[in-house]
Amino acid sequence: MLSRSAKHLYWLARYIERTENIARMIDVNLELILDYPVDHSLNWKPLIDTLDANQYYEKKYKKYNEDNVLSFLFEGTNNSSSIKNCLDMAKYNIETVRDDLPKSASISLNHLHDHIFNESFLKIHKRKRLPYITNIVDLTQEFFSSINDNLSRGYEFEFIRLGRFLERIDMISRIIDCLCITKSDKKTYDFSTMEWISLLSILSAQDAFRKVSKGEVDREEVINFLLQDDSFPRSITRCLSVLRLCLDSLPKNEKIILKIRTLRLRFDTASFESFDDNKLHTFLDKCQKDLITIDKLVEKTYF
Amino acid sequence: MNDILRVGKYTNNYMKLKWSNYELAKSFDEYINSDNKVRSHIRKIGNFFESLSLTELQELNSSTESSIKSLGINFRVYSDTGSEERNWPLDFIPRIIKKKEWDQVSKGLIQRTKALNLFIEDCYNEQKFLKQSSMNDDLILKSKAYFSFCKNVKLPNSAWSHICGSDLIKDIKGDFHVLEDNLRIPSGVSYMLENRYVMKRVFPDLFSHYGVSRIDEYPLRLYETLVDSSFRNTKSPEIVLLTPGIYNSAYYEHSYLAQQMGIDLVEGRDLVVKNGYVYKKTIEGLSKVDVIYRRVDDAFLDPEVGNPKSVLGVRGLIKCWKNKTVSIVNAPGCGIADDKAVYRYVPDMIKFYLDEECILPNIKTYLMSKKKHRNYVFQNIRKMVIKPVAEAGGYGIVIGKTLNNETEEEIKKKVLGNTKNYVAQPLIDLSTTPTFSRNEISPRHLDLRPFILSGKKTYVTVGGLTRVALKKGSTVVNSSQGGGSKDTWIVEA
Repeated sequence: MLSRSAKHLYWLARYIERTENIARMIDVNLELILDYPVDHSLNWKPLIDTLDANQYYEKKYKKYNEDNVLSFLFEGTNNSSSIKNCLDMAKYNIETVRDDLPKSASISLNHLHDHIFNESFLKIHKRKRLPYITNIVDLTQEFFSSINDNLSRGYEFEFIRLGRFLERIDMISRIIDCLCITKSDKKTYDFSTMEWISLLSILSAQDAFRKVSKGEVDREEVINFLLQDDSFPRSITRCLSVLRLCLDSLPKNEKIILKIRTLRLRFDTASFESFDDNKLHTFLDKCQKDLITIDKLVEKTYF
Repeated sequence: MNDILRVGKYTNNYMKLKWSNYELAKSFDEYINSDNKVRSHIRKIGNFFESLSLTELQELNSSTESSIKSLGINFRVYSDTGSEERNWPLDFIPRIIKKKEWDQVSKGLIQRTKALNLFIEDCYNEQKFLKQSSMNDDLILKSKAYFSFCKNVKLPNSAWSHICGSDLIKDIKGDFHVLEDNLRIPSGVSYMLENRYVMKRVFPDLFSHYGVSRIDEYPLRLYETLVDSSFRNTKSPEIVLLTPGIYNSAYYEHSYLAQQMGIDLVEGRDLVVKNGYVYKKTIEGLSKVDVIYRRVDDAFLDPEVGNPKSVLGVRGLIKCWKNKTVSIVNAPGCGIADDKAVYRYVPDMIKFYLDEECILPNIKTYLMSKKKHRNYVFQNIRKMVIKPVAEAGGYGIVIGKTLNNETEEEIKKKVLGNTKNYVAQPLIDLSTTPTFSRNEISPRHLDLRPFILSGKKTYVTVGGLTRVALKKGSTVVNSSQGGGSKDTWIVEA
């Protein structure tokens, strides 16, 4: 397989997965507003923190209010992780590998692109914003399910999966890091249960979580679930298992597998119940650095 | 009554086509003779179209269009304002040629391509033809397509233009002539294959009745030709197709052919030269390449010898080719024989190299650099076509009968400014075939581009790509300028 094709497939998957996760974050925050007291204590800043984009954000906006944050997340031309930018990059990456993919996948991406570019989110009536966001998530899922159902297992498939799950771990760790750490020590203390649930619902994890933990939702259990549960598709441990599967099917995999095994070991042996916010933050920060190393290794080995 | 007529049987009052009402143009019509009768080998399909109502024809037209759209068969057109992808235009009324006639054409094409390939190798080696013929050496040695790095190179099977696309037209008597030979990187073959694919879906019943010869061998034969071109003696050399990229007007074809042959579609940046060999960059590391089927122009192949700014090619590629570590198809420098002034000498080449008489006639060509020729052309300019010698795609052609006094002076001045750059040919009335346009079937001019492959064996496509001018009276068939296409049927008659 050509290195360039592998690279395009990898980044195609990363950008679409990123789109999905940003949409999920916005979705949950929009829903939370409805349950919040009118004192506007709901903070939009963590969304920008999650993407580590504060310095770009502050070049353009002063206040972290709903309109500014949403406009930055959707349109932000100076934000490489804005939804529009992600989809432009996805489109760019699919161009020369289109023929390697099922036709339905490329059609899904076209729909998604049209959905975002034909109708600006900010001009939509508030009542219609939620369905608009849900539709983004639906379309990204449609894209990946078309890949899962129609693409033969081989290098093409593995590079898509590799990109998708690396991006997913990255986003999950960012979401947990920012949302849970910044929220647990702030004045919105009363709403903690609601916030844990919102964290779970960003990752479509409420139902799965409820099956393993009944009653009051507490921090420890949520964190254990999202970091260590080996059966839930959006837990970090599970994603690491998938990465391992991908690499087993690829050549020259030794160095990367070693790196993934070390990372996995750190998750398996950590006892998160004893972690305070600071320690958790340091742990997740280290995890993100490892992901960057893995990405660089993939780049060096295959592209 | 033939049971095929049932296809179009209906009971409503919609108008039907009558061939007796078909308005012939002044040219040879391939369906209808001068008495407005359907030609004998066309009778079956002629009857079939007579049995259809306008509504049914429109239905056929829209089902053709929609299957082209859903298959994503397109091409890219460039203009001053940018470029756009367009759906491939296919007229659903097939062009029909008798097998007996085609076999003769096919022989003529093989003969012609053999001579042309020998000529190219000769020009870069002994130059025997140039020494004995009346042809002006400068035509070759000073041509932009002549590369001194090709000197003394000999290639397997003497194949330089492994894939040749010759443009054929039928004159007023219905005889095929060669209009030009495209020896560099002729395109269009994927559309020939896709036209058939679409037609089989639109007219499944017709095919079983006609005994239409199959055309789908081409990708396999192309693959064999590429294998034959390899310098390394192996049954399965590593072959890639080199494309300029997605913005090239023929990208659809590049991707289609690569897929059909199961080879990698690469861009210049995917290849690299190391220790005298060409490699492609794969996820497993560098992998040696034996054959490059390139769809990139000579000038952009290698920044070391061509355009120094080219990013489409591969640095050091030509050196590898000269050292025979990689073969390039078509070979660099084969464009010297792809010139409308050189074309005039093809019958002489056939005599010289093969000691045979030319089977497929040329069209009389006047060289504007010769005073005698030029005077004749200027006196009869309204009956002539003036062509620049080294342009492709129909650009720069001036058709005499469209001139007025002012434009006539203009073109004469242009020619006198650079006489070597122009040739002239008498205006040929291209043959016509019934073509559907909105609410009628009327004659449209067409040409034919068959493709000839030269490896250990020579192969000619069964028929070729028929291109048709969609405007009434127009003879411009190029898709970039609004031309359409037809499926070409070679039938036993």
